[in-house]
Amino acid sequence: MLSGEAMNVTFDDKQPIFQQVAHIIEDDILNGTYREDEQILSVAQFSQLFQINPATVVKGIGLLVNEGILYKKRGLGMYVSTDAKQKIQNQRRDRFYKELLSNLLCEADKLELTTEDIINMIKQLRKE
Amino acid sequence: MSIVLSCDKLNKKYGPTYALRDLDMQLEDNVIYGLLGRNGAGKTTLLNIIAGGILADDGSIEIRGKKLGKGELPEDFCFVRENNKHFGGARVIEALQLAANFHSHWDWTFAHKLLQTFGLDPNQKIKQLSRGTESLVGIIIGLASRAALTLFDEPVLGLDVLMREKFYKELLEDYANHPRTILLSTHLIDEIVPVAERVYIMDQGSLLLHEEIHQLRMAAYLIRGNSDAVASFTEGKRVLHTESYGHGKLAAIYEMLNDRDRQQARQLDITIEHLTLQKFFSYLIEGGH
Repeated sequence: MLSGEAMNVTFDDKQPIFQQVAHIIEDDILNGTYREDEQILSVAQFSQLFQINPATVVKGIGLLVNEGILYKKRGLGMYVSTDAKQKIQNQRRDRFYKELLSNLLCEADKLELTTEDIINMIKQLRKE
Repeated sequence: MSIVLSCDKLNKKYGPTYALRDLDMQLEDNVIYGLLGRNGAGKTTLLNIIAGGILADDGSIEIRGKKLGKGELPEDFCFVRENNKHFGGARVIEALQLAANFHSHWDWTFAHKLLQTFGLDPNQKIKQLSRGTESLVGIIIGLASRAALTLFDEPVLGLDVLMREKFYKELLEDYANHPRTILLSTHLIDEIVPVAERVYIMDQGSLLLHEEIHQLRMAAYLIRGNSDAVASFTEGKRVLHTESYGHGKLAAIYEMLNDRDRQQARQLDITIEHLTLQKFFSYLIEGGH
């Protein structure tokens, strides 16, 4: 868990770093790195691994606690909630619809692509 | 949150020029700060005054609410200078021994580990070290002293990218286990973003800005589009810098944007991009006067 690809994460300028921290943890829940009721990395481990300020990590974790994705066991650390995966998927589907798709349509309008054009492109990509 | 260090209206003049002008600064417990400014902005002067190396013309410094007397050193404090000339002909290990005597929380195990991590020969003379290796001596002292208040003046000067990454990593790991107040002055602005929690930006002896880094990054944008559209979008917003090209215009702004702003931007066909801290810094300094 402590080795490998995680080291390659770079933080971009699009979002506050603490939101990106939350996103990394969410990704790891979605891809099964952390399972239900498993403990996630400690703040110190996270801070060292990704080279970011511990306060930023705490903020990112706090975000997920508020959303019910993580919960705290006193004196032990942070754990993944039972329905965490479902919650994350619901939230992200919502964002997929509201943000990604509306941005996609915005660009499609500029390029004068019809809805049918777009659907055909998606089908083509799915085949590849 | 309690205040560790508080500077109140510090002034320092060299001849007719102000090195510091009415400078106020407050550092809280257990926060890593970045101190940014161009060469000659007054960063080193400020740090030297806090460290008691030079005296301010007026103004005062308080450590945990207690006023510092003239030439008095803050307690449990470590100042890592930009250079180690004050160690004269000493060897690396002698410099560390000297520092260990001054700092009650000094950790020798950690110091030796850092010597190894950075590949430093403890028996080498400091005078003979390259610029980068000299910086490493300061870094080891700053970290191993574990002082409640640690000021680093340009700690990564002359270090290559691998050594800088090692430094940030060691700093963050040790800080996570031993929280304390750390301030780093640096020119490598974008590198400080993940490391520090807050920044102070200085120019011409004064403080231009003090902000949490994530707040700052969430308010620093580059706006691009048709001149009229950009002008109407930026109206009433804090504009740091503008540039025109043909019928188009770029504007760097410092303003939190809400959903309505974004909707307006879409209607006006304006693109909004985040500014890196470094870009923000240069627009701020250039537009600041």
